Amino acid sequence: MYSLLFKSFFRTKIFMVSLILLLTVGIISIFIGKQYLIKQEKTIAAAQVFQEESINKNLEYHSEDLGLLLYYLRFTLIKKPENISAISIGQSDINPLLQSVTIRALEAQKYDNDFENPSLLMSGNLDLGFVIIYLFPLVLIAMTFNLYSEEKELGTWRILAAQTSSKAQFLFKKLVVRFFFVFGVLLFLLFFASAILQIPLNQNFGGIFIQSVLYLLFWSALSFWMVSLQKNSSFNALALISIWVVLTILLPALVNNYVINTYQIPEALDAMVEQRDGYHEKWDLEKDATMTDFFKTYPQYKNYEVAEDQFSWIWYYGMQFMGDFEAKDTSAEMTEKIMLRNTVSEKIALFVPTMHVQLSFNTLASTDMVSHLGFLKALTEFHKNLREGFYNSIFDNKSSDSVGLENYEAKFYESELHIDWLRLILPILLFTVLIAIFSLVNLRKL
Amino acid sequence: MRKNVINLLARQLWQDAFRSKVMLIASILILFLLIFSAYSGWENYHDQNLTRDEIQDEVQDSWENNPDKHPHRMAHYGSFALRLKHVLSVFDLGMENFVGNAVFLEAHKQNTVNFSEASMSTGLLRFGEVSLAMLLKVIVPLLLFYLGFATIAQERENGTLKLLIGQGVSRKEIVFGKWLGLWGLSLIFLVAIFLVLLFFVFLESHNSMYFDSLFRYLVLLISYLLFFGVLSAITILVSAFSITAKSALIKLLGIWLLFVIIVPKSLQAMGFYLYPTPSKIEMETAVEHDLMQLGDSHNPDDPHFKALQDSVLLSNNVKDVADLPFNYGGFVMSKGEALSAAVYLKHQTKLYNVYEKQNNLERYSAFVNPYSAIKNLSMAFSGTDFQSFLHFKDKAEAYRFNLAQEMNRLQMELIPNKGKAGPDKISNDYWKQFPPFEYHFLSISDVFKNELISLIALLLWSILAVFGLLRLSTNLKAI
Repeated sequence: MYSLLFKSFFRTKIFMVSLILLLTVGIISIFIGKQYLIKQEKTIAAAQVFQEESINKNLEYHSEDLGLLLYYLRFTLIKKPENISAISIGQSDINPLLQSVTIRALEAQKYDNDFENPSLLMSGNLDLGFVIIYLFPLVLIAMTFNLYSEEKELGTWRILAAQTSSKAQFLFKKLVVRFFFVFGVLLFLLFFASAILQIPLNQNFGGIFIQSVLYLLFWSALSFWMVSLQKNSSFNALALISIWVVLTILLPALVNNYVINTYQIPEALDAMVEQRDGYHEKWDLEKDATMTDFFKTYPQYKNYEVAEDQFSWIWYYGMQFMGDFEAKDTSAEMTEKIMLRNTVSEKIALFVPTMHVQLSFNTLASTDMVSHLGFLKALTEFHKNLREGFYNSIFDNKSSDSVGLENYEAKFYESELHIDWLRLILPILLFTVLIAIFSLVNLRKL
Repeated sequence: MRKNVINLLARQLWQDAFRSKVMLIASILILFLLIFSAYSGWENYHDQNLTRDEIQDEVQDSWENNPDKHPHRMAHYGSFALRLKHVLSVFDLGMENFVGNAVFLEAHKQNTVNFSEASMSTGLLRFGEVSLAMLLKVIVPLLLFYLGFATIAQERENGTLKLLIGQGVSRKEIVFGKWLGLWGLSLIFLVAIFLVLLFFVFLESHNSMYFDSLFRYLVLLISYLLFFGVLSAITILVSAFSITAKSALIKLLGIWLLFVIIVPKSLQAMGFYLYPTPSKIEMETAVEHDLMQLGDSHNPDDPHFKALQDSVLLSNNVKDVADLPFNYGGFVMSKGEALSAAVYLKHQTKLYNVYEKQNNLERYSAFVNPYSAIKNLSMAFSGTDFQSFLHFKDKAEAYRFNLAQEMNRLQMELIPNKGKAGPDKISNDYWKQFPPFEYHFLSISDVFKNELISLIALLLWSILAVFGLLRLSTNLKAI
């Protein structure tokens, strides 16, 4: 039975069209992912060279004054790229991969973005994730919308009905054939991606794989439900495309507008101004105004003399510290609000499979907002360690040789991910089962 | 062609449409989306501009209220430029949420424009946003296809087409009647959305750019009118050349998916693939490298600045820089600023040229895809395209440069050279005299220049549509 169904399916025009469409766009998307990884590698190499060269160059000019030297020097923290991110590029093209910072106030450097063409950011990346989320459902729809209606309209249904024991089972088998074809293409693309992009077959990859399969099952169930209503082909096509538009375009966009408007973040701009004023206004104040607060955080430097009528590096870096210090609360509020946006989006996404799959792809590929916030947190820690590591030498007016700057290389940050499997799988599985039950109930009347 | 026959045919199409469930469901959906996107668009525009205006004023106040100090301190104190939204961004969000909103302007350094909405958003942003323009560009075309796929194909299947022709209605009348009917149907949505938009434009009539906004509004209205005319023609043509209504529907759905969703995104991705761009750190390295070649003001032995010093000393007939009639530090910094700004701009222009190449793939596709034409036109005239952003960025950079150079000038004129007697501070009246940052949107003639390709493409499409309908009028198959 199945071999016959496969044979007849392979003869349809839609089979060829789908195969060619999915394979071409799928393979293109994998190579776009490759290009993205190459760009990351180049950026990292450039950052490493930049740091080394700039340390050497500045040592040449300013080695006599460590305070001044460290005013110029930039140290790089890089988010270690994961090859799996090429499957779901997510927010990682908007949020920078690395940040080169001086030991001056961090708040003014933390949010600097990298260059990227806004047109590209707007249209989004054509990654494998896009192909899975947008194109696979379309192909499934195209192959299944007339599963029943076509036979009916061509007049072959009556013959079939007379020859098969269970009509519902026959339709189900036709669906299974189409599902396995799409599943095969998915399997091929994922393993092709894993080979070309050198993605290790680890938990994260497994997560993406399972999620993709569930997603295809969801759409198969949805199409099958539409078929089970036994309407004509035009109605099915119209209805399924409308559902696709609602699930992949309208609902996510509505939620996105809602989240952006409800949780506006003016704190971002406030923190930016507060940081500047927190630092700069100290120039016009008594030096004590800076030092009192600085010593509160760093009591170990209390015994340093800060002359009122003379420039000193402890005062200068104290002022810089105050910039961050005074923007700290607002900056924390900003981070909290971004997290809130994320939480709300994720919660709503539990009820919309397309959104859920996109967000969980990004999470599994470490290209989501949470992962970037993790990087920013690590950057703050990195900056703090740098500053504190240099403070003693600067305040003691030590020579620049004493700090061993040649050992300062660009550092990598590695994020850790804990996968909540239940949250990942359950929502979409429940929807699929529910819809499948509805379709079976409908088909009993066939 | 008889006018009353065409009217009759058009009216009949309307009646059929209003009797169908599709129209009912669609109208309710569109109404809901219209209210939602008008509300959220206005709220976003209004709230964001309010916040940004407030901060811009605050920044100006704190600039003016700085006490007397050395002008170079003020150059580092700097200022901020906050990007204001155009009132028409309520209509088309364009790149609004993908470009930065605030930039710190200080001496010696071109900072990036930060805090784009995208940088503070989740991955959902990539699904797109709902705006009034999105309804017109994406949803209404699909709806138009739903409502129009059967027009001619169905009548032929039913045999009513043959009857019509038999009764003496010419093929031309049928084609144009149906086309006008369908086009008219699309105008219901167009008019509804543009009326709402007009209200918002009126709300901002106190704005100095009011007439500019009205003009932009008019261009948008005409562009969408033409776009829907073209879409209606495509629907009629596909319906007429399909054997069954079902196959017409499948073709039209395919066209919609391909031209609205898949092709624009693929072309943008191809552009990215074909023309790689450097990352910021690569460009910064290149800028620094160029600057070292030209003259490094930080290097005391730099030949460029050494020669500069010698020539200044010579022309002023003094031996030591301290004896110059102006502050030498200020002089060197002004030269250094000019040099570094020029080098930075050169590299930035190069980068933007690559962006343009990346974007051109999609831009020129307007000649095969009318959606691309309307997409670019709509963004540009709503003030939310890349060029509008660049215009802001250029103005902010110009302001930064002027600020730094003005402070350098003050230093040269009012601060004595090292070792000479005199104040190392100047009065804060000088800060008050420096004008605040004020942004004016791109002039409409520039927008026309930027969007020439899209305009030509849309006009060509309109001509092609009429031409196609005329051709159909001669060889429409009745059976």
